Amino acid sequence: MDQLTPVLQGFAVVLEPQNLLYCLVGVVVGMLIGVLPGLGPAATIAVLLPLTIGLEPVTSVIMLAGIFYGAQYGGTITSVLLRLPGEASSVVTVFDGYAMACQGRAGKALGIAAIGSFVGGTVSIVALSFVAPVVASFALDFGPPEYTALALLGILLVATVSGGGRVKALAAACVGLLLATVGRDGFTGAQRFTFGDLNLADGIDFVPIAMGLFGLGEILHALEERHRRVQAPPTLTRVWPDRADMRQASGAIGRGSVIGFVLGILPGGGAVLSSLAAYALEKRRSKTPERFGKGAIEGVAAPETANNAAATSSFIPLLTLGIPANATMAVIFGALLVQGVTPGPRLVDEDPELFWGVINSMYVGNILLLIMSIPMVGIFVRVLQVRGAILAPITVMVTLVGVYTVRSSVFDIGLVVAFGVLGYLMKKAGFDPGPLVLAFVLGSLLESNLRRSLLLFDGDPTGFLTRPISGVLFAAFAVVVLLPLTTRLLRGRRGGPRDDDRSGGRPDTKELV
Amino acid sequence: MGTERDAGDHPSDVPETPTVQEALDAADAPLDEEPPPPAGTVANLVVAVLVTGLGVATVVSSLALGIGSAREPGAGTWPFALGLVVVVFGLALVAGARRTADAERFPREALGVVAGIGTMVAFTALIGRIGFEIPGALLCFVWLRWLGGEGWRTSVLVSLGIVAAFYAVFVGALGVGVPHLF
Amino acid sequence: MTVLVGYLPTARGEAAFAAALEEARRRGEDLVVLNTPRSGASVSTDAVGDEAVSGLRSRAAEAGIPLHVRRQAHEGDAADELLRVADEVDASVVVIALRRRSSVGKLLMGSTAQRVLLAATRPVLAVRAPAAH
Repeated sequence: MDQLTPVLQGFAVVLEPQNLLYCLVGVVVGMLIGVLPGLGPAATIAVLLPLTIGLEPVTSVIMLAGIFYGAQYGGTITSVLLRLPGEASSVVTVFDGYAMACQGRAGKALGIAAIGSFVGGTVSIVALSFVAPVVASFALDFGPPEYTALALLGILLVATVSGGGRVKALAAACVGLLLATVGRDGFTGAQRFTFGDLNLADGIDFVPIAMGLFGLGEILHALEERHRRVQAPPTLTRVWPDRADMRQASGAIGRGSVIGFVLGILPGGGAVLSSLAAYALEKRRSKTPERFGKGAIEGVAAPETANNAAATSSFIPLLTLGIPANATMAVIFGALLVQGVTPGPRLVDEDPELFWGVINSMYVGNILLLIMSIPMVGIFVRVLQVRGAILAPITVMVTLVGVYTVRSSVFDIGLVVAFGVLGYLMKKAGFDPGPLVLAFVLGSLLESNLRRSLLLFDGDPTGFLTRPISGVLFAAFAVVVLLPLTTRLLRGRRGGPRDDDRSGGRPDTKELV
Repeated sequence: MGTERDAGDHPSDVPETPTVQEALDAADAPLDEEPPPPAGTVANLVVAVLVTGLGVATVVSSLALGIGSAREPGAGTWPFALGLVVVVFGLALVAGARRTADAERFPREALGVVAGIGTMVAFTALIGRIGFEIPGALLCFVWLRWLGGEGWRTSVLVSLGIVAAFYAVFVGALGVGVPHLF
Repeated sequence: MTVLVGYLPTARGEAAFAAALEEARRRGEDLVVLNTPRSGASVSTDAVGDEAVSGLRSRAAEAGIPLHVRRQAHEGDAADELLRVADEVDASVVVIALRRRSSVGKLLMGSTAQRVLLAATRPVLAVRAPAAH
């Protein structure tokens, strides 16, 4: 019974009217911004960061969870109604979701997506409630070498599963790690890369980096795109999933929940991977696979359930190990650090109210999502009618003024602009900013643990391999690095041109990158 | 890292489940929009050289910080190691510059991006002196009228409206200390 | 030579289409329907959906008139786009709809129809929608 007390206390915290309100606001704002093309969950949370920073830590986290769920579902709405996925984890939803919408079954598709998201999310939260404390207690024994290995593996996996080339993603991650070294060195007190500027003496704040790279960079890049395609407002039929639909989709929802939960724990594109895997599994299991792509309700239920379950379970590594599993979690991690909360194995014991508050706010966020999503679809379609030319300056102002409010610093406005330019140039040059932000967040943790480990091992790096847990993690690291290389070599030996070779010119050359 | 590919035993009009990479690309560039033209080898080389240069610069300045040793890591040890890795990645990018196709060329519209950056720089320079209202209204106006191609009336009304809303929210309701003129 | 009509999914758009259909039959020319919402948003109430287009197609087919539907978003001014397409398809007549506007409305919003009438170098047929009941 003792174990349950903090859980229940967590609920009491979440159900405070003020917190409920912030969760609601978060869900709605998250959905509204999430439906806008180009702004995925990470960008949405980044732009809205200043909103959450003036609040109490618990309230702030609850609101973040609301924004997170809202932003996730926003992508679903545009996938089904407009064939615009907005984020990678909703790409497969487009196939059957849009087909259903064309057949006048948009309501059924959105309804089953909301129900699936709710079930997947809830299953994931329940599992998380049991798994997280166990993982956390296990991780209490982790020393600096284990954390070094975990952080390295996390960064590597995120860089592996990101857009653009792999070398570019890894280079971006290294730049993120370098940016984290700016400021006073915690061990020696030496000033590093501050160029004598006092504003940099305490290091670069996370908020301008995330807001600049994800928010402004995206907006600047959108300035040069001309969206020629304008669609008629979709017709929304008020036909919701009925008993037969539920029966047809229930298997997909059940399997999607499990796939999503398991894959979501893995660092990298858990939500993306799980939505694809769930879709593929349903198609394979189906007795009538030819229905897929033509409006099969399982084709919507499976990926939407899985991506929400995965989005939820990706909180596990964050809350128990202090390692964000993807770019979105990196933004949430950064937001928590700004609040003075360091997620990690000690969080359950040291701040149970916050820990269980976060987890229980997910229940509430999910329920609010289920209640809010359907009636608000009409409003979202309205939002999509606002021209980008009008939304862009509003978002710029929100970013520039918002970043100022965090530390009352004009220097930070300059920083956010600088990182906006960097984000734009990175996008132009094919670098994904996600790994940079994630690596920046993990940077100081990685460096300090690496240095402590080296002191611990008396300068002998083989110490990493002789400790069981860090040894296993480094082995996993090696597998992730070597696996693509070996498959490439094998493919090369077979002599066939790479099927995804985009260079066109010389298909017979093996790619180094 | 991809998911299971379809074995191909289904009719061809059933959509193939995409790989993770394809899904990421699809989310990035929605259908029907032609992808921006890829940058040329020269641009790729410039990027690669910049990355390499960043690595070299890091290595050099880490040496000044004192790179210590594995036994006694100094302030420069970690940046030094990172710098070396960045140099390696930069050289790999140089080697692959001719086969890189994921960089975009700068179209004529990129001039608009430069203008947009200019308005943000001006905003940053002015906000500390004359508050956010006038620079904010000017920024919005430039974005609406010239970058967004809106009409004069819409641009004036919307930019005034945005500033008024910001004033009401930040100064009026939240009382946050944003520098303001009025 | 063709008949070009600027079409919107509204009552006056319908009136313009009906008039253009009649005009195309009389002249024995192809009918080009231009639906040009303003670009910049993903969704616009000025855009016609697939269903509405197939409705137009079946009406043209009934009347025995070859129909070409162009759906393309424009930037800037709708009148310029209409006239540009008129040149492109070598329209013998451009059919547009008029909207009832107060003088204040005209002052604030300007009038696409007026700009078409003033700038066109081809015959323009302006149609007013039947008054609502």
